[in-house]
Amino acid sequence: MSALTASEAAMAKSTPEAAINRHDESARLGFRLTLPAQILVLFIAVFPLLMQLYISLTDWSPLSGLDWWGAWELWNGFANYSDLASDNRFWGALWRTAVVMVVCVPAEFLLGLALATLFADDFPGKRFFYSILLMPMMVVPAVAGYMFFMLFQSGGPLNDILSTLTGTRVAIAWLSDPTLALIAVMIADIWQWTPLMFLILLAGLVGVPQDQIKAATLLGANPWQRFTTIVLPKMKTIIIIALAIRVIENFKIFDTLYIMTGGGPGVATETISVYIYKVTTQDLIWGYVAAIALAILIVLSIATVFAMKRMAAVREVRA
Amino acid sequence: MKRSVPFEIFRYAAILLALGVTLVPILWMVSMAFKPIGEWSATGTALTWWPKEPTLSNFRFIFGESDSSLIVALDRTAMKPILSSLLSATFGTLIAMAAGTAAAYGLSRFGSGQNLPLALTQLRLFPPMAVMIPVMIMWAFLNLTDTWWGLALVYGIVTLPFAFWLMKTFFDDMPREIEEAGLVEGCSRWRVFTKITLPMMRAPLASAALFVFILNWSDYLIALLLTTREWVTVPVYMASLSSSMTGQLYGAKAALGLIAAIPPVVMGIAIQRHLVRGLTFGALKQ
Repeated sequence: MSALTASEAAMAKSTPEAAINRHDESARLGFRLTLPAQILVLFIAVFPLLMQLYISLTDWSPLSGLDWWGAWELWNGFANYSDLASDNRFWGALWRTAVVMVVCVPAEFLLGLALATLFADDFPGKRFFYSILLMPMMVVPAVAGYMFFMLFQSGGPLNDILSTLTGTRVAIAWLSDPTLALIAVMIADIWQWTPLMFLILLAGLVGVPQDQIKAATLLGANPWQRFTTIVLPKMKTIIIIALAIRVIENFKIFDTLYIMTGGGPGVATETISVYIYKVTTQDLIWGYVAAIALAILIVLSIATVFAMKRMAAVREVRA
Repeated sequence: MKRSVPFEIFRYAAILLALGVTLVPILWMVSMAFKPIGEWSATGTALTWWPKEPTLSNFRFIFGESDSSLIVALDRTAMKPILSSLLSATFGTLIAMAAGTAAAYGLSRFGSGQNLPLALTQLRLFPPMAVMIPVMIMWAFLNLTDTWWGLALVYGIVTLPFAFWLMKTFFDDMPREIEEAGLVEGCSRWRVFTKITLPMMRAPLASAALFVFILNWSDYLIALLLTTREWVTVPVYMASLSSSMTGQLYGAKAALGLIAAIPPVVMGIAIQRHLVRGLTFGALKQ
């Protein structure tokens, strides 16, 4: 393993006993160093998941008067899971989560890529502009949600800008219209996370070998050809990573959206996290929530294993 | 490569447009934080883009000074939530960094804990919402609900993957020769780790800690579920600020939002170099 370095191998030849001691010491220290992390993982992942599985098979709720371990008295088998199949609000929330993802992630990707292309070579003011353009992703999401809540008020600055541009009095009630509210939360997401795409794609873009681009230029390739035949293929894995990160994070979308609309009007902007939050805190049917959560986790776990293999392959290529 | 003049014009125009879109929401909140109540909304008169009479009354208000124009006084000031955010984010960062750094070193040097990369990546992938039911039950059982230390413990676990991956890539990049020299000198492995490796890694450790702190400080959902009153954090407190007399407390909320937004932005700019590494779990370095 990596623990055996060249010098240790050399030592092993001269004094076998010392080398064995050294190896034991390494194994022991390695175990001790990783122990706290293992305990934390056990404490927050393994044990809670087992608890979640148990509760998901019951009708338990914090109002049932039973402690959670006594939930078996309310055993209902797989009823929660079969209820899930016919829960229209759940499928609606899942659908809206998908819609937000299908609009936001490609928009963030294309805008981020366009910006990264503009920043690929040096120009005066580059570092300054770069720092400012990264700011949205560092703003606390809940605060960003509040910023956009203010922007989208009917008497707010966005309508004021639109009024000036069109020359008429614009007073759109963005957050009270089902369609416009969904668009508004997507705009906020794109505002906040395009910088992340920009950051990652720019890091990938500067890694594209310049000599190949020069060679292609000498051979008469125009900028578009250079971009599609050299730059994009070289950036393929980085693009996949950037998209994967945004897909994962976008699926969880909550903070900004919840502060802007609270999932409303009605259920117009209710995504999967908002839906689970509401069922958890308002309906308090925790057995059912546990079933929803577990179903989502199983699907996501399978997705992670694939993503991990991909990332490991990338690391090996770059190492 | 020499670019043409039209291209340069196009580039600056496009960047200026992006800057405008980036800055308008931020500047609107900054401006709102310094506006007196009469300039908060546009009813009747035209919208105030920049405070005509800049004031600090919004900041004074959230720290407890009663405001005659608002009639209401806050039942709680922003002091305690700020303290709660600071304590939970700081201690959460300490937990994540201690466990993450140790585990990263154990894996990087001794190959221990082979299950951690997958387990921790899955931990990052999970929507917090989907594991909160058992956590809420456990925290209620352990009397950790609505305490900053209970929150810090969850933060420590939630951000552990970031601390682990960042430190692992830093350790992987570090040349081994110096450590080996220490071993040849007769130092124990533990001594090498604490006396040679960690001091050398001071700068990466600081960057990773800032990165993790930003994540903890930015949380809203976990605090929303695990704190109810005593130890609510700044985002939860901000969202709860409203008054039956004046509706949304725009200026006060903006002032609070500004206070919440400044630390991560400053820290984020300070560790710009490591953002890519942290966000991509080390798959990509800048």
